[in-house]
Amino acid sequence: MAHRSTHATLCRRGFLKASAGLSFVVGAGGLLSVDAQAAGSEMLKVNPWMTIRADGKISIIFPSTEMGQSSYSTLPQILAEELDADWGDVVIEQLNEDDRTFGNPAFGGVLYTAGSTGVEGYFDPMRKAGAQARDVLLQIAAREIGVDKKTLMTAPSAVVTQDGTRISYGDLAAAGAEGIQIPGADDVPLKPVDAFRIIGHDIPRRDVPAKSTGKAVYAIDVTLPDMAYACIQRAPVEGERPVAVQDDEARAMPGVLDIVALPDAVAVVAETYWSALLARGTLDITWSETSPFRAHGSEATMALYAAEAESPSETPAVWAKKGDASAAISGADTRLTQTYLSDYAYHAQIEPMAAVAHVDADGKGAEVWAGTQTQSWTTNTVMDVLETTRDRVRLNMMTMGGGFGRRTAFVQDYVRDALLCSKSVGRPVKVIWTREDDVKNGVFRPLAVQRMSGGVSTDGMLQGFHHRVATPTVIGFFNPGRWNAVKPNDVISMRGAESKFYSIPDFLADHVITERQARLSPYRGIGAAYTGFAAEAFMDELAEAAGRDPLDFRLDLVEDNLRGRHLLGKVAEMSDWRNRGDRAMGLAFAGYHSSMAAGVVEIALDRNSGEISLKHIWVAADAGLIVSPDNAHNQIEGAAVFGISCALTERIDIEAGEVVQNNYWDYEITRAHQVPPIDVYMAQVNAHPTGVGELGLPFVPPAIANAFHALTGKRLRHMPFTPDRVLEVLNS
Amino acid sequence: MTKFTLNGQPVEVDNPPEELLLLVIRDGVGLKGTKYGCGAAMCGACTVHVNGEASFACQLTVGDVEGATVTTIEGLSSDGTHPLQKAWIDEQVPQCGYCQSGQIMRAAALLSEISNPSRAEIVDYMSANLCRCGTYNRIFKAVERAAREV
Repeated sequence: MAHRSTHATLCRRGFLKASAGLSFVVGAGGLLSVDAQAAGSEMLKVNPWMTIRADGKISIIFPSTEMGQSSYSTLPQILAEELDADWGDVVIEQLNEDDRTFGNPAFGGVLYTAGSTGVEGYFDPMRKAGAQARDVLLQIAAREIGVDKKTLMTAPSAVVTQDGTRISYGDLAAAGAEGIQIPGADDVPLKPVDAFRIIGHDIPRRDVPAKSTGKAVYAIDVTLPDMAYACIQRAPVEGERPVAVQDDEARAMPGVLDIVALPDAVAVVAETYWSALLARGTLDITWSETSPFRAHGSEATMALYAAEAESPSETPAVWAKKGDASAAISGADTRLTQTYLSDYAYHAQIEPMAAVAHVDADGKGAEVWAGTQTQSWTTNTVMDVLETTRDRVRLNMMTMGGGFGRRTAFVQDYVRDALLCSKSVGRPVKVIWTREDDVKNGVFRPLAVQRMSGGVSTDGMLQGFHHRVATPTVIGFFNPGRWNAVKPNDVISMRGAESKFYSIPDFLADHVITERQARLSPYRGIGAAYTGFAAEAFMDELAEAAGRDPLDFRLDLVEDNLRGRHLLGKVAEMSDWRNRGDRAMGLAFAGYHSSMAAGVVEIALDRNSGEISLKHIWVAADAGLIVSPDNAHNQIEGAAVFGISCALTERIDIEAGEVVQNNYWDYEITRAHQVPPIDVYMAQVNAHPTGVGELGLPFVPPAIANAFHALTGKRLRHMPFTPDRVLEVLNS
Repeated sequence: MTKFTLNGQPVEVDNPPEELLLLVIRDGVGLKGTKYGCGAAMCGACTVHVNGEASFACQLTVGDVEGATVTTIEGLSSDGTHPLQKAWIDEQVPQCGYCQSGQIMRAAALLSEISNPSRAEIVDYMSANLCRCGTYNRIFKAVERAAREV
């Protein structure tokens, strides 16, 4: 049989028209319906999560938001794989509304980009949706050609007949879905892993060219006709409000449009940001002085939490429990208890808070441009501030200049500020927080005191492990409604304390929920950023008490975790751990949620200044099946770099309720010269993907502390390990 | 009126001469590739070239560049194909991307000073710019790749 021209085949039926196509309505449970577009008509807009147009373009909705983690590219790749699309045909469309049809399964359907859950949560539904759509295209082809669907195959963006004829997805879309049965989500076969040609392959990120040429548009870059700028003077202490404002001078300055009283701040709205900044400097604001937060300072907070860790005033909430840790430790031959401290930490994302709002003339609706980690809570913020309904909210979710948890709150005050300013002046307004505003009004990783107890037997085995964390609930502050649902289990405060990668028969992790004395937020790694430090630094102390090599001591605990055991062996091999001699090396085995990382660091120490530097990092990681390997490496490297400054410098202090630090000169984050070579190994496993965004962070601080001990025989138990603390420990 | 050359074109702006160059470039001229990060010469997101030297646009007033030649990321190449930009894409450097205009502009100044820098020279030079996503090792590789190509 001669090869027929597909194009001719379908043109004969007269279906090829430019705007015709298929609109697939895909929900978290899979494909819900498919709408054929009448030739020449507009696309039906009934939650069109995926469309295939007659010209072959395949639009896939991106349901999360992008802050550097690359799910903008990675999530659509999952669907494209099972659809058997040519990736070059795929157009990615940002989801700009709080449409829970495609909510994050990991957050109960809320549109929420956090916790390394994007790929983990959307992997199954997006695969199934792609496979269902592929089945529909096969059915259309079978109908058009008049053959049994079973005789047809797909190649990138085309159905292929047994005689080799290719019919493009675009042509099939144009042919319409009349008479097609949508298969159930669980009834379509998925590709075997070895058939993947997108998942697991190094496909360049879609956003990289724009980010390499200055063309990527962030919220801070949005410009609208007639837009004004606002600069906000916020209350110096949480809970205070402006009681009197002397603004005569500011109002008289050129370009100043209005001075707007906000609940906890005063905004200057002007024709330019420069005018707004200058005018802000002339404001004389009298603030209320009644806030209980004025009584709080981080030193006293640390002392309070330490006392609570030692003897809790209320029964701690059990976070993870197996056997009887207390009895096992009491019965152990050697018992050890140590306290680990960690300060508040700030996100330090390079794009400070910024948002543009254009409130409608009636004050009951708005268009908003913002970079946030959640369409849902940004929508809620607009609804709350304008006391309006969902249908009046028009969002533009902008790519973010870093997130790290900073943009997750239930109520987003920078969005609120832009809305209130726009409403007041009747023009679109862009709010930009200065870096100092962002630091002084930051929301922080909580200060924590961790009391660690454990025992070892005379034959060098771990015998009982108790990890007590005294820190406030983070969820209770940044999302109180959620806290009511999950209380007393706070995953943000406690993650990592469960030490789930080890088999410890007698284990307890509990949470002493202390009084909140600062604004709090999720931060990269959430609880694991500090619980991983305490757990794995203390594990080294127990290994020492047992007279064992830190690697051997841990290997005993992963006999039931073969994948974890593989990582420990691998990182030992990569770093030549067994032959480390007198090199200052430290090992840690931590991770994030279900993703594991075994890491080794080698450090150097300047004993005069107390400065620690990193010479090398080796990390062996397992996050299940990896969708984008090159990006996974980049994420793990990046998180390890984040972990370096988390361990060495990042510290927020609070005095009389005010944040002491100001800017990057007194809140230092890792610079280029502080970054060592980082060797990353990713385990190749065929298991459900579990996320890579935070995985590279938690092992770094304990590995550094353990390397410091290898070098000096002393323990670092207060993070960050600033030079003054290092010198104090060296001289102790 | 302040006159200067921006990305090869003469420009005249009527902003107050004491207004920050960064704000004039971004909001006056409308070139958004140069970013605000700290306003304090600490992060380098605002790095531009003034008479060929890497400079913090947040530390200069527009009056400071009267008569000078200023280049931003938009002027580095007409079509985004400067060897550093190609290398940034080849090495898949950016994550959030916010700092990368500044990183590329600093790297371009380095390569015009030292055409074949050592790793130590790259690390030292690039330490003026922060990347919170931690892409530094890829930045080093991309600078080395671009240096091989120029």
